[in-house]
Amino acid sequence: MKKIINKPENYTDDMLKGIYSAHGDKVKYVAEDLRCYCVADKVPGKVAIITGGGTGHLPLFLGYVGEGLLDGCGVGGVFQSPSAEQIYEVSREVEAGAGILYLYGNYTGDIMNFDMAAEMCNMDGIETRSIVGADDVNSGAPEIRRGVAGIFFMYKCAGARAAQMASLDEVLAAAGKAKENTRTVGFALTPCVIPELGHANFSLAEDEMAMGMGIHGEPGIWNGPIKSASEIAAESVDTLLGDMPLAAGSEVAVLINGLGATSIEELYILSGCVSDIMADKGIKIYRTFVGEYATSMEMMGASISICKLDSEMKELLDAPAYTPFYAQR
Amino acid sequence: MKMMKLIEIRDLPEMFASIGRVMTEKADRLGELDALMGDGDLGLTMKKGFSAMPDILVNLNEADIGRQLMKAGMKMASLVPSTMGTLMSSGIMSGGKALEGKQSIDAAGYSAFLEAFCEGVTRRGKCARGDRTLLDALGPASDSVKDLVTFNPGVTLPEVAETAFRAAEAGVEATKAMKPKFGKAAVHSAAAEGNPDQGATAAMFLLQGIKDYIKSR
Repeated sequence: MKKIINKPENYTDDMLKGIYSAHGDKVKYVAEDLRCYCVADKVPGKVAIITGGGTGHLPLFLGYVGEGLLDGCGVGGVFQSPSAEQIYEVSREVEAGAGILYLYGNYTGDIMNFDMAAEMCNMDGIETRSIVGADDVNSGAPEIRRGVAGIFFMYKCAGARAAQMASLDEVLAAAGKAKENTRTVGFALTPCVIPELGHANFSLAEDEMAMGMGIHGEPGIWNGPIKSASEIAAESVDTLLGDMPLAAGSEVAVLINGLGATSIEELYILSGCVSDIMADKGIKIYRTFVGEYATSMEMMGASISICKLDSEMKELLDAPAYTPFYAQR
Repeated sequence: MKMMKLIEIRDLPEMFASIGRVMTEKADRLGELDALMGDGDLGLTMKKGFSAMPDILVNLNEADIGRQLMKAGMKMASLVPSTMGTLMSSGIMSGGKALEGKQSIDAAGYSAFLEAFCEGVTRRGKCARGDRTLLDALGPASDSVKDLVTFNPGVTLPEVAETAFRAAEAGVEATKAMKPKFGKAAVHSAAAEGNPDQGATAAMFLLQGIKDYIKSR
């Protein structure tokens, strides 16, 4: 293990201390718990959107807390769910009179804890709705799919809708529409190391890649010799469109996401390949997002997400957003 | 002879201390059963979670016994985030919800608590009776107590606590013949045969702790 840390067991809390000291004007924590991450100033009467999940995926999850996006985040340890109590404390803080949307990834531990927090909120008379991101096509049937980088489109659409002061059910509907229309395929070239473990929990040979691998190293659909960027793009787009067919003339947003250790240069190589394939198919790319949106610490690899758009979603995607980790004009 | 008629908010820490004592005594037994199927930490988890409850409860100041139990359940979940820890916590929270607005628990209240406890576990664990889980001890306990308070309104708190425990005991016995459907246990199906389910056994110890406390008062 080669990491710039103090003690492995302090990885999450030391990271959080750094974030609060750098961005204390925009975010804060409550309940004397660093892991209860909230916007510094809430907007009265706005639906609050809360996410949560394990550490190790920055800018996911807490990086999307800010203007035009989310209001709070329960922060778990590395690859672990935040507790129900942490989610509840965040909820109490950021709720602004219009109810709360819980928007997070489709993982068993997270579901249990968000559901528990929702029960506590309901007891306090706070209305909640929940929706999970489940965009990773290669992780199984739609209802059991893991949530990965495509959750960004749910955040963006729901966040923009909430910023328009829409109702809780309208914000939920915006998140739902993004969910229905988003698919992701990911692939890894190297594993990552959980600090407290000290070593990778799987290995890939120097010339190997893993197609379909999850952002916690969940096994993919094949491991084999690494392919070229255009071959990877072609296979990924085939898988995406196999699951969500798009007619020529459709409009989409594309997200090329790095998993942590793949260069931005490579992401743009991939992005160019995806753009060519889409042009061949007559699918119009309305907007492309390239960069690190959901990582797996220092894992090498990337994911490709597509989100099918209509005029309402275009408007929501184009709305401004500003957080310590994400800025869009 | 004096007999406990009501469990009040101020009694909860001692009641959970009693559950914690049973879990501590039986930690090795739970560990052995769990090791047949999974990682063997169930005894430690139950001991840790329930033994922490008295302190958690003493530091809460909710308006009624239901909210007190809900908040405490949520805090216990943070402490023991394993599957069984989460299911037990969910049960306590759900049971607490059924007692919202009440200042104490009588025989009928205990019945309502158990019924809602089962619902909480079912909802969170997505399990059903017969799946070889804690529900196979809690379900029969809830049923028999419900029958008792429905057909015999004069039944006392010690009587329902005893009945719940006995029904759970029989429920645990019945799990010896059940096949596991969930988690790691499903993978180790053969090891399950002839042994009681560890989750059901933990639930029986929970009801034993409550019964011991009520009868000691």
